[in-house]
Amino acid sequence: MTLLSVQNLTVQAGEAPLVSNISFDVQKGEWLAIIGQSGSGKSVTASAIGRLLAPNLKAQGKALYNGKDILQLGAKEMRRLRGTSISYIFQDYQGSFTPFHTIGRHFDEFLKAHFKLSKARRREMAEQALESVGLQPEMYTRYPFQLSGGQLQRSSIALALLTKPDLVIADEPTAALDSISAFKVLRLLADLQQETGCAMLFITHDLRHVRKHADQIIVIKEGAVVEKGDKQSVLDQPQHPYTRALMEASPSLSAASQLLKGDDTACLYCN
Amino acid sequence: MPLLQLNNVQKSYQPGIPVLKDINFTLGRKECVGIVGESGCGKSTLARCILQLERLDQGEILFEGTPLQDKGEREIRPYRRHLQTVMQNPASSLNPKLKIRHSLMEPFRQYGAQVSLTHFRHGTEESMARQLMEAVELSPDLLSRYPHELSGGQKQRISIARAISLEPALVVLDEPTSSLDVLTQMSILKLLDHLRDALDLSYLFISHDLLAIQALSQKILVMKEGQIVDRFDKEGLFADERHPYTQQLVSLFDRTGVHHES
Amino acid sequence: MKSGLTINKTCATKVFLSTFLILIASIAAYTFLILKHDPSFVDLNERLLPMSWQHPFGTDHLGRDMLTRILLGFQLTVGYGFLALLLAVAIGVPMGVIAGFKGGLIDRLLMRVADAFLAFPDTVVAIVLSGLLGAGIENLLLAIILVKWVNYARLARSTVVTERQKDYITMAKINGLSEWRIMLKHLFPHLIGHILVLASLDLGKIILLISSLSYIGLGAQPPAPEWGAMLNEARPYFQTVPALMIYPGLAIVTVVLFSNLLGDYLRDKFDVKKEVAE
Repeated sequence: MTLLSVQNLTVQAGEAPLVSNISFDVQKGEWLAIIGQSGSGKSVTASAIGRLLAPNLKAQGKALYNGKDILQLGAKEMRRLRGTSISYIFQDYQGSFTPFHTIGRHFDEFLKAHFKLSKARRREMAEQALESVGLQPEMYTRYPFQLSGGQLQRSSIALALLTKPDLVIADEPTAALDSISAFKVLRLLADLQQETGCAMLFITHDLRHVRKHADQIIVIKEGAVVEKGDKQSVLDQPQHPYTRALMEASPSLSAASQLLKGDDTACLYCN
Repeated sequence: MPLLQLNNVQKSYQPGIPVLKDINFTLGRKECVGIVGESGCGKSTLARCILQLERLDQGEILFEGTPLQDKGEREIRPYRRHLQTVMQNPASSLNPKLKIRHSLMEPFRQYGAQVSLTHFRHGTEESMARQLMEAVELSPDLLSRYPHELSGGQKQRISIARAISLEPALVVLDEPTSSLDVLTQMSILKLLDHLRDALDLSYLFISHDLLAIQALSQKILVMKEGQIVDRFDKEGLFADERHPYTQQLVSLFDRTGVHHES
Repeated sequence: MKSGLTINKTCATKVFLSTFLILIASIAAYTFLILKHDPSFVDLNERLLPMSWQHPFGTDHLGRDMLTRILLGFQLTVGYGFLALLLAVAIGVPMGVIAGFKGGLIDRLLMRVADAFLAFPDTVVAIVLSGLLGAGIENLLLAIILVKWVNYARLARSTVVTERQKDYITMAKINGLSEWRIMLKHLFPHLIGHILVLASLDLGKIILLISSLSYIGLGAQPPAPEWGAMLNEARPYFQTVPALMIYPGLAIVTVVLFSNLLGDYLRDKFDVKKEVAE
């Protein structure tokens, strides 16, 4: 069943298109990865779907969520959708938290805005959410600066999954983390997705981050889709040279020694 | 005699909270030693200690047999030419108000008159600038630009050119690829590999990316909570006797690499 | 985008127009009028004359030529204002840079002194100081420098503290630059923009301060043709010959306006955000 269907999405800054004519579907419970280098338009695509574009950018086309075009929704409906069905995880975890509010207060305000719950119940839910991402409930009373990058990103994942959304849009959630924490956060995200059955729109520049978990892959270059398909077919038979280049840059660890040797990299990922 | 030798190095910023505990290792000429660890494990502090930007609490750092840790800023200056670095963030390691040419030629202007170069032709500032741009595969046109006009990868290449401009003995690479996208990461790694051979450089390569470490270094040290918990040649990465933490890292990274299952 | 550009253009035009006018005025002062009239030549037969070819702005209560006095007043008011500003910058900026770069005791000491000065409004401190030191333009200048250097020290310090932590400063250190050279080569370029903006806005405030203190008798003393002092002298004739107050008043307004426009223009020009966006 199609949860989100993006049709001919074009985003323009003035006359210059940042993203042109992108179409894709996200099925219920599916993990779709959008891959591209910085400046390829992958983040703009995610922002357009979330109606989070900067005011000087204009989006055209359709983004049907359960049949309703997100791009045409009124502010009130959009807010309801954001609160209950679609949630976001951003790259900049520091910017996602107000520095002078405790972690707990972020959960509390979010719950207050979208549900009618008692204070004790809200606290209980927040602490459960923190535990579900492997954090101590004590984090509830901490301030953002007292947490490490990995812990903060875990908190924002907990916050994003608090309302059991159907679609999570994750815009490079691991890019600001060191790769060790990144892989741990990634594994957590995958486990939680399995558990809740939500669909995931996952934006990244690193093929290594999608190989394990993604179902579908879309490769974007300069604002246009150069390759898309299910993971296995894209990784086994990459059609576009750009996809092949991305794969060569992300070999398995045992092939790493050959990473820098010569131009003939065909055997790099034949483990 | 090793190029760099660290004996029992200890460092803490607050009493009772050690950042580096008993660090020992040696680094030979034309060698690349990789240090892998999570953020907060102390690897950047170690880099700052080796670059003589921090005072040690205990231990010694020998550069070609000479202890550096007790020297004052003035006595250290002659050694700085041989202890160069490339830092993680290309955006902040170049002064935004200065043109590329100015930032690039800073070490040469400072020491250029006194040093003899074996790989580059010693010449005027302009000819040196051109040689360096060629070495890092950039157009000399970029010399008269400002940093914000360059891409992240280009800026990182400028930082590398600046670091190698006086043919230093050791370059400390502190996460030089971590803020770049994968394709740029690979081109920078290739450049570093090529320059090491061409200029007889030694690298201390610090990163959290085990893949990059494995690609570039000959010896690997694994750091955790301020200590070196494991050390091995790169062929030994998959050996059974590895420390559990190393094995954990290997499993995290290897499952995510792109390769065929069949 | 477009509206931003037009605002900038009109702003620039205004600045250049004002500069042009003031330049012309001061040149005129030197070439024609000084030769014609002595600003302190008293001729009681010619007092309170209306406009004429001989005296384009008329004469004051002692028969002195108003135009000559206004133009010389420019030299005096703006000149002293500029001098005070220059000295405040020359003291404040190095203090701030050193405090910010060295940190520690020097920093704390300097900044507590600065805080103490900042606790009182400029005007109050200037009045108290020139009251204590005695009336006179030199003492007034000293008072102004004492209250103004603090702003520059704080501005320079905050800029240096932010920039000091950046990697390129570490790189400069690794590349063997001494602390003085790092301050000079790497930190000063960041300061120039901020300082110019603050200074051009301050020029107007300083001129107002000189004029208002001269008006209440603490600054320039008669017969010096300082605009504030001229306003004071003209007070008894406010009802009969308002021109005596209008001319110096207009002069003050023009110069202060010019300084503010210049400040706005420079602020736009050195706007860091805009630099990045381009």
